[in-house]
Amino acid sequence: MDSSGSDGSLNHKLEAVALNDGPAPDNSTGQKETSPVDMLRIRQQMSNQCFEMAVQLHADKSKRSCSTSEADRDLPDYVSELEMVKTLHFNNTLSLHRMQMWHAMGEKLKQSDPEAAALKVVSDRCMALCSRIQHLQQESRNLQDEITELQKTRLGNLYRKKFIAMGLFFDMKRLTREKMRQIEELMLKKDHPDTEKYKAVLEKGQANLEKYKKMAVMTQNVLRGILMACKVNWLDDPTLRDIAMTLEEFSISD
Amino acid sequence: MSLLKPFSKLPGLNTANILLVENEEQFQQSLADILVEETSVSVTVRLAKTLPLPMENDESRPRIDLVVFIMNLTSELSFQSAEASLKYLDPGYFLGKVCFMVTNARNASVPTERLDAVRKLAASLHCPLLFAEDQAPDGVTSATERLLTVLKVAAGLVPTTTALYLSNLTRCTLPPDIEQPSFD
Repeated sequence: MDSSGSDGSLNHKLEAVALNDGPAPDNSTGQKETSPVDMLRIRQQMSNQCFEMAVQLHADKSKRSCSTSEADRDLPDYVSELEMVKTLHFNNTLSLHRMQMWHAMGEKLKQSDPEAAALKVVSDRCMALCSRIQHLQQESRNLQDEITELQKTRLGNLYRKKFIAMGLFFDMKRLTREKMRQIEELMLKKDHPDTEKYKAVLEKGQANLEKYKKMAVMTQNVLRGILMACKVNWLDDPTLRDIAMTLEEFSISD
Repeated sequence: MSLLKPFSKLPGLNTANILLVENEEQFQQSLADILVEETSVSVTVRLAKTLPLPMENDESRPRIDLVVFIMNLTSELSFQSAEASLKYLDPGYFLGKVCFMVTNARNASVPTERLDAVRKLAASLHCPLLFAEDQAPDGVTSATERLLTVLKVAAGLVPTTTALYLSNLTRCTLPPDIEQPSFD
């Protein structure tokens, strides 16, 4: 494998790359020294290559006879474990960097050169702003609490009013229903005496009508009898004819 | 056998080298034009029709970080030539330094078996499978961006990730019903 061969010549090649600028076209000024950033970058790339070569060597060495399906089943677990470890490592690195930064700043502040003075001014300003931020946050929290209280009481009032209104509404319904019932009763009662009087009068009138009708019919019959008994010719005499006609009009049987 | 080996050369500072293998030699040109415009990393694009690469360029060729096989789904020859080229690649490349890119997947004349075959190939090799739109400039740009993401990781320029790790996250998986006939 080529990789073992390149391992041996790696160091000397690395020197070559580090000392001269190599194929990188962006360093067109042709300086001989590489900046720390470049060195870190090439270090990163080299470590990546070495890792991959190591993986390949390891794969060649450990020739376990496992099928790809088994490996596929195990793979997601390994990947998630790897991810967890990576995140942990990353977070730890970040906190380490933070600590380093703070330490460096502290060291710097202890010295008294103009840079340190400027740093001190900046850090004092930062502190002042932070305390102001805290103060404002506290104020806003208090205001928020007051608002919440106010909203609660308002909501409570609203509910109480609603309750009362609903109670009133139901009362109104009940009262109106009762009133309606009373009115209906009154109406019925009023109808009764009127109709009673009316009925009496009506009956009396009808009785009179019957009486007079009977009288009329009787009179008619008597007259008809007289005419027929007299054997008088009532067709010729106009007055007699009229009387006879009216006798016919009146219904005999009613 | 002239295998293309991944570790026979050293990486260049802030450089990434990509090899585009395409039988038709069309899409690779447009991809290359946009890839070299990348500013944060100096990208070298090498184009090839098939593997193996000619021996005379062996010395001047830098370390290839990513090999991309571009297949046009409308032609069977494309797929076959890509498959044949795979033999000339060192197995070390398949730990995250190979990518498959497929164009014309939306074309109605593409038989579904070909896409399934490409999928099975990519899944068996644990490589990512990218779909690209090669007719529109937007499609070319987006394909370039995705390739650049994979390339930067494969070249070791991203601090926390290695090509192997990324390939585990992006590899092509087969849907369980790939053997069943699809809706047509």
